[in-house]
Amino acid sequence: MLQYSYRPRFPETARTRLASDQSWIDYLPITERPPIVWPNKARLAVWVCPNILYYELTPPDDPWINAWARMTPDVMMYGRQEFGPRVGFWRLLDIFDKHAIPCTATINVAALRRYPEIRDAIVARKWDLLGHGQFNTRFICGLSEAEERAYYQELLRDVRELTGLTMSGMGGPGPQAGTENTPDLVAEAGFTYFGDFFHDDQPFPIKVKSGKLISMPYPVEMNDVPIFSTAFEGEQFVTMVRRQFDRLYQEGAVSGATMCLAVHPAVIGQAQRAKYLDEVLIYMKSFPEVWFATGRQIADHYMAHCYDAVIDRLATWEQTS
Amino acid sequence: MSDIAVYDRLPHATSGIANRRKLVWPDGKRLAVAFVVSAEYYEMQPSADAFIPPNVPGGFGRAPYPDFRAFSQREYGNRVGIFRVIEAFDKRGIVATAAVDQSVAMRYPYILRQCLARRWEIAGHGFSLTRVISNHMSEDVERAYIAAALEALERITGSRPKGWHGPEYGESVRTTRLLAEASVGYVLDWPNDEQPFLMHAETDHPLVSIAMALELDDVIAGWHRRLSMERWRNGVRDALDQLLADGESNGRHLVLNLHPWYIGHPHRIGYLEEVLDDVLGRDGVWLTTTGEIAAHALQSEAVKPD
Repeated sequence: MLQYSYRPRFPETARTRLASDQSWIDYLPITERPPIVWPNKARLAVWVCPNILYYELTPPDDPWINAWARMTPDVMMYGRQEFGPRVGFWRLLDIFDKHAIPCTATINVAALRRYPEIRDAIVARKWDLLGHGQFNTRFICGLSEAEERAYYQELLRDVRELTGLTMSGMGGPGPQAGTENTPDLVAEAGFTYFGDFFHDDQPFPIKVKSGKLISMPYPVEMNDVPIFSTAFEGEQFVTMVRRQFDRLYQEGAVSGATMCLAVHPAVIGQAQRAKYLDEVLIYMKSFPEVWFATGRQIADHYMAHCYDAVIDRLATWEQTS
Repeated sequence: MSDIAVYDRLPHATSGIANRRKLVWPDGKRLAVAFVVSAEYYEMQPSADAFIPPNVPGGFGRAPYPDFRAFSQREYGNRVGIFRVIEAFDKRGIVATAAVDQSVAMRYPYILRQCLARRWEIAGHGFSLTRVISNHMSEDVERAYIAAALEALERITGSRPKGWHGPEYGESVRTTRLLAEASVGYVLDWPNDEQPFLMHAETDHPLVSIAMALELDDVIAGWHRRLSMERWRNGVRDALDQLLADGESNGRHLVLNLHPWYIGHPHRIGYLEEVLDDVLGRDGVWLTTTGEIAAHALQSEAVKPD
């Protein structure tokens, strides 16, 4: 179902970089990288991201993106999303509890404010938090550098006040989720990983002006939203996730692999679907040498044990080899 | 020529397959099978005059700059996906054609060298996914565009590519002639047949068209139509059945266009392996390359100028 849409004509966003293209990510093919060694020599690090979102029924106009593609308010589409915090979340929570999954919640701050029971459930379980902006209906693609800097400060402060927790990851919100300053400002604010690059199976350094930042590829594939927005249902979801897991588990014998599974209570929390999430978690839990971790744990390990080796390799690697 | 001029000017004849001379493949095989692997670069900041079709896959549609998501979803192919695809071919001893755009060639010569080390064929593939040939492009710009893409590949590989595939299958009304003038030998943009045929190149240099099976293009099937990969794999299986039967009377070909950013994901690569195993298990298949098909067509009695 059509969620967001870009406006037919939108204003230009800032383009001050002179490079003809992106300069955040260096090229190092996966075949040329130093092997990743996870704690306890796990073959595969798995992180699971339930999305805890807040959609506004009547969001402010945005010059670039229509939060509701059909009309505002769109009660049908809003209601579909609101099913998430009302019902779907609680169904998924039972499944995560059953398997003791250390989740990394992708959160809109407004959801923590608006749904205190969900906030308390997250805090009680010591889930990790991956920043996803204030609202899923307000976007940052037109923010000035100063506005965006303030945005991340406010986000971190609000989360600290609401949960007592810090956040180490950031990505989104919305279909286009950044300005050309975003990686620099995310690093400057103290985040260590960024989720809006889908270019890889592994974490990878992002070049920023200050601090250290890595990309932790958030899943555009292992994600219930794109999967269930097609003709796919639970059986296909299970097939995709199992195949992803099997392949990465096999490859993980050579270099530690990473798999992220993103789920949305409004989507896979529906009555006809939740059991398929249970099914894939049972499957993945049945294997040895799998590290169920949070985004922060994976990022911290990569920063401590893998980051420098990749930087060194980048400095010495020649494409002519 | 008069009827063509009256209706719609096409750069090739419109003869139906039932009335053609018999095309005989080497060793009397019924079906030629070849694979094209398209390596493409998605510019986050395309030039202002570039034509980009509205439904180029990746991200969530054309977004305001900087669109990290569309760029990086496509870039996955060059960093990760293509190496799974290469491995799948390696393990089975199959040689493919890599259609490599100029941006990938210049930025990532490593990819070209990996293909060359396996004796893969290299085909021109334009400048980038975000600069597509169409009638919006002037003749002079298009001529220079084709030349630059071919020269970039030649500089790295040491030989000029014989094949061409425009990004997004894009062409102008002039492309056939311009490709022939650039000494390109075959083109992969017209998904309209199961046999090679000659284009009306308007020059002395012959240009063969080799049709790729559009609806078995992994991105057309999986991204645009959102078919599950089971159905894609089964589609290839069914096509092989039909083409091998049809190939009894007149040789056919099946050319699959594969995109590492899509099929190179861990959960999809197994389906490519299953398709390759299916092809290898068939009698009557000439497992070959697009360049070999074009060369065979040029010396075949069946493929003659009208």
